[in-house]
Amino acid sequence: MSTPSTAREHPTTAEQQHEHASIRTYLIVAGILSAVTALEFGVIYVRRLAPVLIPLLLVLSAGKFALVVMFFMHLRYDSRVLTFLFVAPLVLATLLAIAVMTLTGEFLVFSR
Amino acid sequence: MAHRDVAGAAPGTIATRPPTARAGLAAPATIKSWITTVDHKRIGILYGVTAFAFFLIGGIEALLIRLQLARPLNTVMSAETFNSLFTMHGTTMVFLAIMPLNSVFFNYLVPLMIGARDVAFPRLNALSYWIFLFGGLFLNASFLVGTPPNAGWFGYANLTTRQFSPGPEIDFWMLSLQVLGASSIMAGVNFIVTILNMRAPGMTLMRMPLFVWMTLVTQFLIVLAFPPVTVALIYLMFDRFFGTHFFDVAAGGDLHLWQHLFWIFGHPEVYILILPAFGIVSEVLPTFSRKPLFGAQIMIYSGILIGFFGFSVWSHHMFAAGMGPVADAFFSIATMIIAIPTGVKIFNWLATMWGGTLRATVPFHFAAGLVGLFTIGGLSGVMHASPPVDLQQTDSYFVVAHFHYVLIGGSLFGILAGATYWWPKITGRLLDERLGRLGFWIIFAGFNLTFFPQHYLGAIGMPRRIYTYNPGPGWGFWNFWSTVGAFAIAFGVFLFAVNALLSLRYGAPAGADPWDGRTLEWRTSSPPPPHDFDEIPPVYGRDSFWREKYGDDRGRKPAPLPAAPDPHGVHLPSPSHWPIVVALGLLVAAAGALTSLALVLIGAAVLVAGAFAFALEHHRTPAHVRQDGVLGVDHRKLAMWIFLGSECFLFGTLIATYLAYKGRSVVGPHPHEILNLPITTLSTFDLLMSSLLMVLALAAVQRGDRFQSRLWLGGTALFGLIFLGFQAYEFTTFVHEGLTLQTNLFGSTFFVLTGFHGGHVTLGVLWLLTLLVLDLRGRLGVQDALKVEVAGLYWHFVDVVWIAIFTLVYLLP
Repeated sequence: MSTPSTAREHPTTAEQQHEHASIRTYLIVAGILSAVTALEFGVIYVRRLAPVLIPLLLVLSAGKFALVVMFFMHLRYDSRVLTFLFVAPLVLATLLAIAVMTLTGEFLVFSR
Repeated sequence: MAHRDVAGAAPGTIATRPPTARAGLAAPATIKSWITTVDHKRIGILYGVTAFAFFLIGGIEALLIRLQLARPLNTVMSAETFNSLFTMHGTTMVFLAIMPLNSVFFNYLVPLMIGARDVAFPRLNALSYWIFLFGGLFLNASFLVGTPPNAGWFGYANLTTRQFSPGPEIDFWMLSLQVLGASSIMAGVNFIVTILNMRAPGMTLMRMPLFVWMTLVTQFLIVLAFPPVTVALIYLMFDRFFGTHFFDVAAGGDLHLWQHLFWIFGHPEVYILILPAFGIVSEVLPTFSRKPLFGAQIMIYSGILIGFFGFSVWSHHMFAAGMGPVADAFFSIATMIIAIPTGVKIFNWLATMWGGTLRATVPFHFAAGLVGLFTIGGLSGVMHASPPVDLQQTDSYFVVAHFHYVLIGGSLFGILAGATYWWPKITGRLLDERLGRLGFWIIFAGFNLTFFPQHYLGAIGMPRRIYTYNPGPGWGFWNFWSTVGAFAIAFGVFLFAVNALLSLRYGAPAGADPWDGRTLEWRTSSPPPPHDFDEIPPVYGRDSFWREKYGDDRGRKPAPLPAAPDPHGVHLPSPSHWPIVVALGLLVAAAGALTSLALVLIGAAVLVAGAFAFALEHHRTPAHVRQDGVLGVDHRKLAMWIFLGSECFLFGTLIATYLAYKGRSVVGPHPHEILNLPITTLSTFDLLMSSLLMVLALAAVQRGDRFQSRLWLGGTALFGLIFLGFQAYEFTTFVHEGLTLQTNLFGSTFFVLTGFHGGHVTLGVLWLLTLLVLDLRGRLGVQDALKVEVAGLYWHFVDVVWIAIFTLVYLLP
C-alpha cells in the first residue's frame, strides 16, 4: 500500500485543500464499524440486556452512522456549511418520522 | 465548441447596452436554439409562457365550475365532470401555474440579483424545465383520452385506490405528480447552490435582496417537503399497480398515513407558493416608496421562521380526522405561532410605505393589494388554527374563500406585481400604465366579489365539492355574484395579456433602470446581455445599486470599488439537447406505465442513455473542471450534500412507515419468523467495507495512483454487487417462504423500503462502474478527484441508510 496520503499533497480544487483523514484513520474507523456490527449481532442474544436492548442498539447504530458521516464523508474536515446542510434535514426528518409513527402507528407516545 | 466566449464584449459601466441586445430573446431565435438553451433568462421565459398557458387552462376550469354553481340545480355539467374539473383546477393551479410562475422570477432574476452570470447547473436547469413541461402535458393528456383525474388535488386514500377508482384517472394524476416532483427537487438543489455559492464578491447573505432570501427558503422547502409526498405517491402506485396494502384498511393499513404524508408536503407547499410573492412585494414596495425595506433583517428571519414552522403545522388540515386532544393542541399552538412572523411581514410592509414617496404604479397596486388581501386570508387562517372553530368550517366554502385569499390575494397578486415590475427588464419595453391600472382594479374587484361572499356561504353551511344545490338554503344569490366576479377576474387577466402583447410590439423602450431600482438587476441593460454583466458588479451593501447611485442615508456615495476579479473570464455554457432527451425518456416511461411494459423499458433506456450522455458531455471541458464558489466548496459537492438532506426525508418516510405498520399485519409471515440475521449481518459488513474501499479509491485518485484507483473503484463496485446478491438471495428466499409484496403489510413495507435502498445501491454501482471505465480509458485524472468524491458521498450515504435499516428493521425486537 502506498504511503498514507492526503488530498493536501495533490490539491486540485479549493475544497480539496481541506485536510482529510489519513489512510490509517480510515482503517481504524473500518475496524470499529466491523466490531460494532458484530457487537450489534451479539447483544440481541444476551438475555440480560433485554431491558436496555432497544436504546443500546439505537446508540450503537447512531455511533456507526456518525463515524461514516464524519470520517468517510469527511464532514469532520469540511466546511461547517456542509454539516448544517446535512444535519439539519436529518434532525428534522427524524422528528417528522417520530411524529408520523406517533400519529399513525402503534408507536404511541400520547393517547388519542 | 464547448463554450461561447464573450470576453470581447465591450466593458460596460452601468447599464450601457441598448435594448436591441435582446439576450434571452435574442438571435439566433430558432426553435432549436430554444430547445437546446441553457441560458437562465431564456429558461425563465420558457417557464413564463408555459405556466401562463397552464394558468389559462386552470382558469377556464374555474370558470366552468363557477358556471355550474351560478344557480341552484344547474345542469351545465354532470357530477363526474364537476369532480374532474375541481381536481384538475387545483392540481393545475398549484403545480402547473403558481409554482412555475414563481420559477420565472427564480430563473430570470436570481442570478442577476446576486451578480452571477448564470445558475450553478445550467443544463440541470433546462432539464427541470423540460420535465415540468412534459409532466404538465402528461397530466392534461388525461382530457384527451376522456379520463381526467377526479379525486381532488389532495387525492385522499382510499378514494384513490383501485377498488374505488378503477380507471386510469388517478394513474395520470399520481404519475404526473411524481414527474413534476422530480423537476422541482432538481430546480431546488440548483437554486440553493446558486444562491449560496455564486454571489458576487461583497454580496454577503444579509446583503442579499429579500426576493433572493425568500427564494432560498422556498427551495429548501421544496427539496425537503417533496420527498414525503413522493413516497406517498409511490405507495399509492404500488397499491394500484402491484396490489400492496399501504392504504388497505382490511389488511391493517391506515388511511391517516396518506393524509399525514400529503400534508407534511401540502402545508410547506402553501409557503412554497406564497414566500416568493412575499419576496417580490419586499422588492416592489421599497422601490415605489423610495425607502429601504423596513426591518429587512427581521423580514429575513421571519421568512426563515415561516419556513421552519411550516413543517410543524401540517395536521391542522386534519383536525376533523380525530387525532386526539394532545395532537390537536400541539398543531393548534404551532399554527398560531406561525402567524407571528407572518404578521411581522405585514407590519413591516406597512412601515415601509409609511412616510415614503409613494408612486402608484401598476406593480405598486398589486403589491399593496397583496398586503390587504393576504391579511384577510391570513386572519381566516388563524381562525382555522382553533380546532373547535375549524370543525365548523372544515369542508365548507369558508375554507375555499380562505385559501383563495391566500393563493390569489397573496400568491397571484405577488406574481402580477413581479410580472409588471420586471417586465421592462425582461423585454426592454414598458407596459401601458393606464391599461395596467384598469386591469388591476377589475381583477381586484372581481376577486373580492368572487371570494368574499364565499366566507358567508360557508358560514351558512354550503359544503365544498358539491356539483349542485337546492334553492332551499338560499345559497343561490351569492353564488351568482361569485360567478360574475370570476368572469371579471378573467376579463382582468385578458387585459393584462393584451397589455403585454401591445407592449412587446408598441411599448416604449424601458431603459436599464425605469423604476429607479435598488438592486443589481437594474444595473445592467434591459434586457440583459447573454452574459448578464460585462463585469461582475461591485456590491456596496444592501440595496447596492441604490447606494451606488445615491449613497447612504446621509447621501455619502461609496468609493468606487474595482471590478470584481473574474479569473475564469466570461464563459457561457453551450446549448445542449440532452436535457430534453432525458425528459422525453421520463415522459415515455410514465406513458408506458399506463399502456405497456415495453414502452416503460424504451423510456427507461432513453432516460439512462440520455443521463449518461448528459453526465459525460462536459467531462473534458476545461471550464467545468473547477466549479468553486464563494463558500469555498465546489458546486457539485454542495449540490450532493443538499440532495442527501432531501434523501433523509425520503428514507425517513419509508422507515417511519415500516415502523408505524410494524405488528399490524393481519396475516403472517411476520418479521421474526422470516428475517435471517446472520446473512444480513454479513451483507451489512460487506457494505461497510465497500465504504472503506471507496475512501481508498478517492485517496488514490487524488494522488494520481492509477493502479490503486482502479483497484479500489472496482472493489467498491464489486462489494456493491455482492450486497445486491445478498439482497436478491433474501428476496428470493422470502418469496419461496410465502412473503411477497402482496402477502401482508409487512411484505409491502419491507420490500418497498429495502427495494428502494437496493435501487440506490444499483445506481451507485452504475456510477462507480462508469468512473472505473473512465479510469481504464485514462480519462480519470487527478483533476477529476472531485467527481469521485461526489460519487463517494452518495455511496457512503447509501451505507449509512443501511446502518439505520439494519438496526430498525432487522435487529430491533
